[in-house]
Amino acid sequence: MNRIVKKTGLLLSLALLCAAGAQAQRVTSMRLNEVLVINEDNFVDDYGKRSGWVELFNTSAGTVNIGGCFLTDDRNDPKKYPIPKGDVLTRISPRQHALFWADGIASRGTFHVNFILDPNKENYVAFYDSDGKTLVDEVIIPAGQKTDISYGHRIDGIGEWEYLAKVTPSTNNLTLDTNEKLDNFKLNDAWGIGMTITAMGVVFIGLFILYIIFKQVAKLSIAASRVRAKKAGETVVNNGDISGEVLAAISSALYELNEDVHDIERTVLTIQKVKRNYSPWSSKIYSLREYPRK
Amino acid sequence: MHESFLSFLGENLQLFLTYTGVYNAEPGHFIMIVVGLIFIFLAIKYEFEPMLLIPIGFGILIGNIPFKDAGLQIGLYEQGSVLNILYQGVTSGWYPPLIFLGIGAMTDFSALISNPKLMLIGAAAQFGIFGAYVIALQMGFEPNQAGAIGIIGGADGPTAIFLSSKLAPELMGAIAISAYSYMALVPIIQPPFMKLLTTNRERVIRMKAPRVVSSTEKIMFPIIGLLLTCFLVPSGLPLLGMLFFGNLLKESGVTRRLAETARGPLIDTITILLGITVGASTQATQFLTMNSVKIFALGALSFIIATCAGVLFVKFFNLFLKKDNRINPLIGNAGVSAVPDSARISQIVGSQYDPSNYLLMHAMGPNVAGVIGSAVAAGVLLGFLG
Repeated sequence: MNRIVKKTGLLLSLALLCAAGAQAQRVTSMRLNEVLVINEDNFVDDYGKRSGWVELFNTSAGTVNIGGCFLTDDRNDPKKYPIPKGDVLTRISPRQHALFWADGIASRGTFHVNFILDPNKENYVAFYDSDGKTLVDEVIIPAGQKTDISYGHRIDGIGEWEYLAKVTPSTNNLTLDTNEKLDNFKLNDAWGIGMTITAMGVVFIGLFILYIIFKQVAKLSIAASRVRAKKAGETVVNNGDISGEVLAAISSALYELNEDVHDIERTVLTIQKVKRNYSPWSSKIYSLREYPRK
Repeated sequence: MHESFLSFLGENLQLFLTYTGVYNAEPGHFIMIVVGLIFIFLAIKYEFEPMLLIPIGFGILIGNIPFKDAGLQIGLYEQGSVLNILYQGVTSGWYPPLIFLGIGAMTDFSALISNPKLMLIGAAAQFGIFGAYVIALQMGFEPNQAGAIGIIGGADGPTAIFLSSKLAPELMGAIAISAYSYMALVPIIQPPFMKLLTTNRERVIRMKAPRVVSSTEKIMFPIIGLLLTCFLVPSGLPLLGMLFFGNLLKESGVTRRLAETARGPLIDTITILLGITVGASTQATQFLTMNSVKIFALGALSFIIATCAGVLFVKFFNLFLKKDNRINPLIGNAGVSAVPDSARISQIVGSQYDPSNYLLMHAMGPNVAGVIGSAVAAGVLLGFLG
């Protein structure tokens, strides 16, 4: 009974760990990405109004549902604006953005928060997980923000905050029109030698380490089997320690085989192993087909 | 009334004719249909990879029935069509990992575990991938395209499809067809190069019989293999993860039903879907291009380079081994993966010189190491070029 309780406890702990891991890949992947405090001649909302805004970015490769999470501008009130649940638009696609209007009128919809960004002072914005306690990301936007100039990460979700050259609501802060990795290869490795050396190096290293490990495992396994055999009182026979009787039997079988001396006999001396334990080696169903006919 | 009815019938008939395959056919369609028929012929007559060539060959026929593009959701490339839905497994890359699951569940790594140095042969044969990569770059392909083409040299269909769907989806049809064609042709491609690069004395080298591997070692192999290879190359996770998972199902001894499903009904189902959709993706209008011809040439080259690299590596390796530990270079070709055909070639060629020398079990070592090696190589290419 005690064992069952222990096992159940272990399984539950593992399940909890997995669940925590799964959660970690979700809401915690969100980042505050860009903020515009003074919006005079920039993006307008669905009501045709201009106000400051806060952009969130999903850094992960999976869709994240931010419904039930919180946005706030008050360190003492993490649950100031609960992002409504049940709105399909709160499911943020991989590497995509969500824009929240800081107009202080939450009744205008899911993406309108109940606070505003004050152009006359420093602003604090934070994004909290659905428990209202786990801080996912926060930023302090310095006072003295310029009109229609946004403050954010130069590359989405990465690096320091700075004033951005372009205001980019709901789109990438830095537009990537080339594949930097490929350009790099084209420029520096036009012959592909670098790739060959690197990749073959990785393949060799991987399989070499595996070789080293299993060489040691084999030694341990052989040693363990010898210990077991000794305990059981059996004689350990090495490949090189074959007894004279066995050699005589093998020689005799080989002689008969080569001279083809068999006639119709009920008993045949053979070196073939007659009874085999099952092994996929002998199971052609699973691994081998007949060689193509000519 | 009578006249107008007749003209109505005539117009309808004319309209119907515009929908027929005959009306919409182009010479390319017939060329591809002939290619499909050759695949089917090779599979039935010579049993070259029949479980792949029959679905792919028939898929080529399906994909090259010409039709009017009238939004009827017939073709593979029409969004929402049945074939298009089935093709998602290829474009999204989830068929290949499932195939790997089945391969893992049917592969016995004993030969490799009992003689782990054979792993290095599996690594050496991956030179085929990068030889083709270098040549493809010189032929004007972009690095990502060259990587996708090079993987043909891994002689592993699912890996080729997986990588090309990520790096160069536009070339995937040609790459898949090329990979499977050459896999089917290993009995023709490999032996001449194996014989060319070995001496009579080398061909009759007898290798030590592999020791019996304990079940603990067999269980440890997929776990250590996964942790090691995927920590090194996480981008190989979809393939290596499923390969080792399938193998653990087999070796654990407590999930027999799951292992049987993975290596039986599941892999069969996915093979059917993969084969038929890859075949159907070769619509003449998309497939018959100069690039496809180049890819076929590069594919052949990559197989040859991989075979030669494997054989030459064994010869080089033998320089450092004691006489009684030497490896027969005829198992070097098996590093190209193509399980189990290339291992069988080692056995057949070896038996031509010494009928009582059984190389099959030894060749299975580099053969399965080649599967791991090509998946690692694919992961590296995906990491660098993806």
